[in-house]
Amino acid sequence: MGKDTMESVKKLFTTQSAKVDTNRGGEYYTDLYETCRKRLDELKALPVVNNKLDFQETIMDEGLDRRDFLKWASATTAMLMLPASFTPLVAEAAQVMNRIPVVWIELSDCAGNSEALLRSDGPKIDKIVLDIISLEFHETLQAAAGHQAEKQLEEAIELFKGKYLLFVEGAVPLGMDGQYGTIGAKAETFKDHLLRLANGAAAVIAVGSCATYGGIPAAAPNPTQSVGVMDVVSGKPIINIPACPANPSNMVGVVLHYVLTGKIPELDSLLRPKFAFGYRIHDNCERRAHFDAGEYVEEWGDNGAKNNFCLYKMGCKGPMTFNNCSIVRYNEAVNWPIGVGRGCIGCSEPDFWDKYAYERPMANANIKAPTGGVEKTVDEFGLALLTAAGIGIGIHAVASAVAGKKNSEKDA
Amino acid sequence: MKQESYKKVERMTVAMRSIHWANAAFMVVAVITGLYIGEPYYQTLIAEPAVQKYVMAWNRWWHFIAAIIFDVTSIVIAYLYFFSRFEKPYKKLIPNAHNLNEFGAVFLNLITLNRKKSFDSSHSDSFNTVYFTIFHLLLFFMLFTGLQLYVHGLESGISSIGAWWPWILHVGTDWTIPVTGGSLMDVRIAHHITMWLIIVWVAFHIYYQIWRTIFWEEGDLAIVVGGSKFVKDKK
Ligand code: SF4
Repeated sequence: MGKDTMESVKKLFTTQSAKVDTNRGGEYYTDLYETCRKRLDELKALPVVNNKLDFQETIMDEGLDRRDFLKWASATTAMLMLPASFTPLVAEAAQVMNRIPVVWIELSDCAGNSEALLRSDGPKIDKIVLDIISLEFHETLQAAAGHQAEKQLEEAIELFKGKYLLFVEGAVPLGMDGQYGTIGAKAETFKDHLLRLANGAAAVIAVGSCATYGGIPAAAPNPTQSVGVMDVVSGKPIINIPACPANPSNMVGVVLHYVLTGKIPELDSLLRPKFAFGYRIHDNCERRAHFDAGEYVEEWGDNGAKNNFCLYKMGCKGPMTFNNCSIVRYNEAVNWPIGVGRGCIGCSEPDFWDKYAYERPMANANIKAPTGGVEKTVDEFGLALLTAAGIGIGIHAVASAVAGKKNSEKDA
Repeated sequence: MKQESYKKVERMTVAMRSIHWANAAFMVVAVITGLYIGEPYYQTLIAEPAVQKYVMAWNRWWHFIAAIIFDVTSIVIAYLYFFSRFEKPYKKLIPNAHNLNEFGAVFLNLITLNRKKSFDSSHSDSFNTVYFTIFHLLLFFMLFTGLQLYVHGLESGISSIGAWWPWILHVGTDWTIPVTGGSLMDVRIAHHITMWLIIVWVAFHIYYQIWRTIFWEEGDLAIVVGGSKFVKDKK
């Protein structure tokens, strides 16, 4: 904040809302269609970067047919909030995704987003699409190690300077000059590593809560002084795809959008793509009717739980969390946290570990008194205030009564 | 015993008194429903399907109605601060020598348990005005944080009364996010804690009015019922 107070003040009054404009009128889409058409033709003319996998073949190998693929394409078109007429373009874009080089680095992380990216159940189209992006560098997934890996990275950023998309997973520790996290034989700090790679990138995509806002490494008391990518990198387009882990569908959505239009998707004030983070979990939750009815799970395994009642009293943070899990879900739409009967912990919101993930309603959230010190729940804190006021009033009342009595004795 | 004579002074118009009681009633509504929204403290024991009972939805409805009433009365009160036909409250907030002295004198009266009463108690004094201003500021904070929480549900950017409504809510209240700490949860926690501050405010407010009535012997409690009080006529 201190760095540029003016900036933060300006930001205060100009923050964009999460408002999603789902219909921008025929003219806008005609223009966009033309732009995308041109862009795709250009990309097709480009040589395939490195990944020579043929998309059609991969799909066939995995036992999916063209019909499945088109179904996926129309669903993705809808997710990106584009009219149905864009479906063929999206399908084409998926097939030329291997023209866009991707460099993926890991900082203070648990590789959970890489894990999400890999297939955990049967491979489906999102996953295949991610297989055929031209992943030039990925510490966990690549075969190369040690000096070889470093060499590969250097070559990739040299060769694709200004063109590659930099995916970052994990927070950036700034404490102790960044010495909490170093990489490679020369012990380059995570911060320097990130800045160097971001320098040559076309755009930086922070995936997962740690890379976006610091996530768990930045949780109180944050001994390593970890922050997210957007607090370190400047002067580059940054896209945040928070959540723990980020949903692969949203990663694909962002890459596809970039392939299709050459631009990054529309972002909200936290730099999240609006197509994915423009609405709350609560707004599309299957348990919402029970919320409005006042039917809540009171404890794990009770009758409410058996009847799929709302999880609000078990601490569900769906009403304050912007994400599309309630629609897109995880693992190819098999299920998602609220679907399996546990509340949302708000993993795609800033400071989620400290402020959302306590698994009880907000009134029961532990907060620090303004003076620091003991943690109390919000209500305990409020009641303590009220008690203090009550004691003060009581003392004053008794004192007044006693003093009044003395006065009247004097008068008499 | 010498004869004391009293003079009647007008303090609150019918409109002001109505606003006071509307605020008081709807504050109770807002607190009862707000606590339920924060953590539903009673269970819905109605053997009907979910679509028919709507318990949380009604709590939220009443909470919003109370909020809208506060919105309107706040605007009226803000207007009265400058254009009241009594002494305009804003004049009492300017920290000039007279107001500071008066504030000090009234405060001294309170902590010396009415031993020393060296100020004119016929009008709304500086201490009182400051105390009420704190209340209105708390209420304004509630309105802004509350509307911010409300607009999250209008994420599509449209509403039944048009797109201007969510737009204006965002423009008017998005600042509460960075101010309260940076996340949507901070806005919620701030909204909830401010409720406790308001309850504390009310506790002292009621106590002080009763205390004044008893010790000043000027019928201060009558102000909010009949609109006037009595001050001792110093001949
Ligand atoms: S389970 Fe959570 S997201 Fe779903 S309706 Fe209840 S509070 Fe909202």
